[in-house]
Amino acid sequence: MKQQNYAQGFWNPYAAGVALGLVLLLTFYLMGTGLGASGAVARTAAVIAHEVNPSTVEANPYFKEFYKPGARNPLVNWIVFEVLGVFLGALVAVLTARRFGPGVGRGPTAGVGLRLSLAFGGGIVGGIGTRFAMGCTSGQALSGGATMAVGSWVFMIAVFATAFTAAYFVRREWS
Amino acid sequence: MTGPLYLWGVFGYSSSLWIAVGIGFLFGFVLERAGFGDARNLTNIFYFRDMRVLKVMFSALLTAMLGLIVLSWIGLFDYSTLLEVSLLKTYLWPQLVGGILFGLGFAIGGYCPGTSVVGIVSGKLDAIAFFLGMIAGIWFFAAGFSLWGGFYMSSDLGRLTLWQAFGISRDWMALLIVIMALAAFWLTGLGEKWAPYDK
Repeated sequence: MKQQNYAQGFWNPYAAGVALGLVLLLTFYLMGTGLGASGAVARTAAVIAHEVNPSTVEANPYFKEFYKPGARNPLVNWIVFEVLGVFLGALVAVLTARRFGPGVGRGPTAGVGLRLSLAFGGGIVGGIGTRFAMGCTSGQALSGGATMAVGSWVFMIAVFATAFTAAYFVRREWS
Repeated sequence: MTGPLYLWGVFGYSSSLWIAVGIGFLFGFVLERAGFGDARNLTNIFYFRDMRVLKVMFSALLTAMLGLIVLSWIGLFDYSTLLEVSLLKTYLWPQLVGGILFGLGFAIGGYCPGTSVVGIVSGKLDAIAFFLGMIAGIWFFAAGFSLWGGFYMSSDLGRLTLWQAFGISRDWMALLIVIMALAAFWLTGLGEKWAPYDK
């Protein structure tokens, strides 16, 4: 394998994995639950929509869970604060490694417009997926996987089987 | 002190939010150092160019899985609290469909929710596009919830683990997962040599 410059300067993947596993273990020890990310995106989506049209969101059969009478603001929530921490931790990591740089990650022959459109479209499909699965790679695959939850393993296997197949059809994006 | 501390009432909700920021900080730092702020490092696995996603994910999964078992052996973690209170519930079909959609989004969009945050902080415009796409997707999901809300809550198997489903002990299941992961680590080397898209 030829080492690309965007792939250089990082930790050994197994060492990074053990470090990530220790963070996850600490989370289970402290909280009883694991890490997550997509729940914070869902709450952000609900709050943005609520700013525009509160009554529709409070009546929406999915979003109304976040707006029960007497409930806290949907953003005052464990997973939202955790993702705020992710922003901060990643920022410190990027700055201390001098890796910050505006750009678009894409294959050498893929255009910026194509890549940004596919990133947006992939975000739509992936975002819908996180709601049906009640989690993402962090919450379901990693955290649920480490506790051997059946649904988390079903999710993880479905994600990778689909992604390896779908990758063939978008190979121009990355090659 | 025996964990999980929060579920045993060692600290309260507002303390848990500060802990969340600290945990998230470590999580974000490690994700960046693993190289997960760039979509190419995340999708190269699907082209057998660089299998780091599998290496990082499975070594993290093994570390936490074995760590919880060892902590429960030495009395520092109450595994039954996890099983009865906080284990993620299984909704079989929605999680399968969710995984298929998520896998499509991952291969096409190049990120997952957590890594898109790392990508945004790294300055990646495609990560911003992915994040905005997720917001739009979640709006779509909520808008049509009356159509698929029934499916969303269907095939509820409760808090079910693999070892319960297969009728074996927890520690044997963990051993099987370790063996499977070691085989997968070995296969990553073959995959990177194979590199079928780069011939």
